[in-house]
Amino acid sequence: MTLKSIARKNAVHVMLFYSGGCNGCDIEVVNAMLSPRYDLEQYKVMLTWNPREADVLLVPGVVTWQMLEPLKKIYAMIPDPKAVVAVGACAVNGNVYKNLVGDIGVNEEIFAPVETVIPVDVKIPGCPPRPEDIIMGAVKGLPKLMGAP
Amino acid sequence: MIQEKQTEKKVIEKELSFGPVHPALVEPYRMRFFVNDEIVEDCEININMAYRGIEKLFEGLPVEKALLIAERVCGICSNVHAWNSVRVIEGGLGIEVPQRANYIRVLVHEFQRITSHLFFFGHAFEVLGHETFAMRSFLLRENFMDLLQYVGGNRVMPSVPIIGGIRPRADLNESLKKVITERVDAFESKYKDYLNRAVEDPLVMSRLSGIGYLTKEDALKFYATGPTGRSSGWNYDLRREMKEYKPFDYDVIVLNEGDTKARVVSRALEVLESLKIIRQIVKGLPEGPVVNRSWVAKKMDYTVSYVETYRGELMHSYGLDQGGFIRNYKIRTPTITNLAAMEQACIGDHVTEAILTIASCDPCLTCCTRTEVIANGKSRIMSDAEIIQRFGWRK
Repeated sequence: MTLKSIARKNAVHVMLFYSGGCNGCDIEVVNAMLSPRYDLEQYKVMLTWNPREADVLLVPGVVTWQMLEPLKKIYAMIPDPKAVVAVGACAVNGNVYKNLVGDIGVNEEIFAPVETVIPVDVKIPGCPPRPEDIIMGAVKGLPKLMGAP
Repeated sequence: MIQEKQTEKKVIEKELSFGPVHPALVEPYRMRFFVNDEIVEDCEININMAYRGIEKLFEGLPVEKALLIAERVCGICSNVHAWNSVRVIEGGLGIEVPQRANYIRVLVHEFQRITSHLFFFGHAFEVLGHETFAMRSFLLRENFMDLLQYVGGNRVMPSVPIIGGIRPRADLNESLKKVITERVDAFESKYKDYLNRAVEDPLVMSRLSGIGYLTKEDALKFYATGPTGRSSGWNYDLRREMKEYKPFDYDVIVLNEGDTKARVVSRALEVLESLKIIRQIVKGLPEGPVVNRSWVAKKMDYTVSYVETYRGELMHSYGLDQGGFIRNYKIRTPTITNLAAMEQACIGDHVTEAILTIASCDPCLTCCTRTEVIANGKSRIMSDAEIIQRFGWRK
């Protein structure tokens, strides 16, 4: 373990990017980070809104046309090493918005899964995933941050 | 709102723009404040960031399958979308719903009303800058998230209503009734402590009172529904007319002040009324079956159903063709009508209070973004005023 990885382990900043899902995963992420019952901040994992400060990017939900460019920009702004976590069934496989369509065949309003837009490291399934699962996913992104030169 | 802007043709030069990704916003939306010497002269809310084209997905799907999508319209008020979508076909085809199923639907609806209002307090106090109250309301909210998980099996998407009743797995047994009673009793004492502490805190109340006025005339003019309209003195609640709510005894909270404080306090008092309804349901739950399976999907005319949700009135409507496939799905969520009221309430205040005023109207913008008009080859999002003009408000 190098000095760099020890220092990084003690200050993990997570950024939540709201890409246009249904709000369910979004609230569960805030619940897992901030609320007193789950409280990730006690393990020195902080929720931030500044992409230049962040290490882990959480993307809950499908990506809409309007949020496509902001997502790419924010991904580029985050300094290396970085990890991207896709939270929820919408971000992993498109959920009902992509797979349960009627006469139109293909839903062209959304980009799903998130993998098609930016590279994803960790996937958390569930509609919505429980806060315990979100905490586990955020932890699984850590080795990438630690192992970087 | 839109028409007035066009007729006045007033040009305000200084513009302050927030969003769509901003620390103070939970959801993606863009706000434009037109300011003059730090006083808001006009406000515009842009909501088209979360457009996913949901209404088109319903076209041509069999009705049982399609109603899975209805629950995914919104992540806060998921149960009421599922409930209202089954109410449409129950009303249109005349499907009988057992009384026990109606009771349990109302029970889950009131659970989600409490979780939604407590999330509102968390959001409002966080915007206000009082972190302690926000944390306390998130902790209180966990009680009812647990109860939703015990009843429905999922914290956010309980999927309780199906056509003709409820899912049999969501039926209440004696031990679950006991758990609900215990949790509600424990919650009420804690919640009253929290409420007394918040109302008696001079710091918080001086920040809330006196800003964001919405008069009764404006509330009626812009069709503000739900607690936003009721805290401006409009004595109206759709629950009084719904047949599911006939057996229960509760009060409708109406306040006359119309400022930000009234909007927060009216929601705080509504939680106590919800607890009353939950106690009556657990005490007087009738025996019998929970689902009526004897129905066939056949041709149905365009049918409309209205439900009172946590933010106002929700409309779902669709028709069925000969094979039982869905045609012309239309959803109108309460935030669409409340948006114009929010824009109006900001005007005349200092710009620092504008986000607090908008948060106090409890916006849920993901579920309201869905109407798009294709004109001249260019697509654009319809504004709230246009939607009301074209499709009308309640009859």
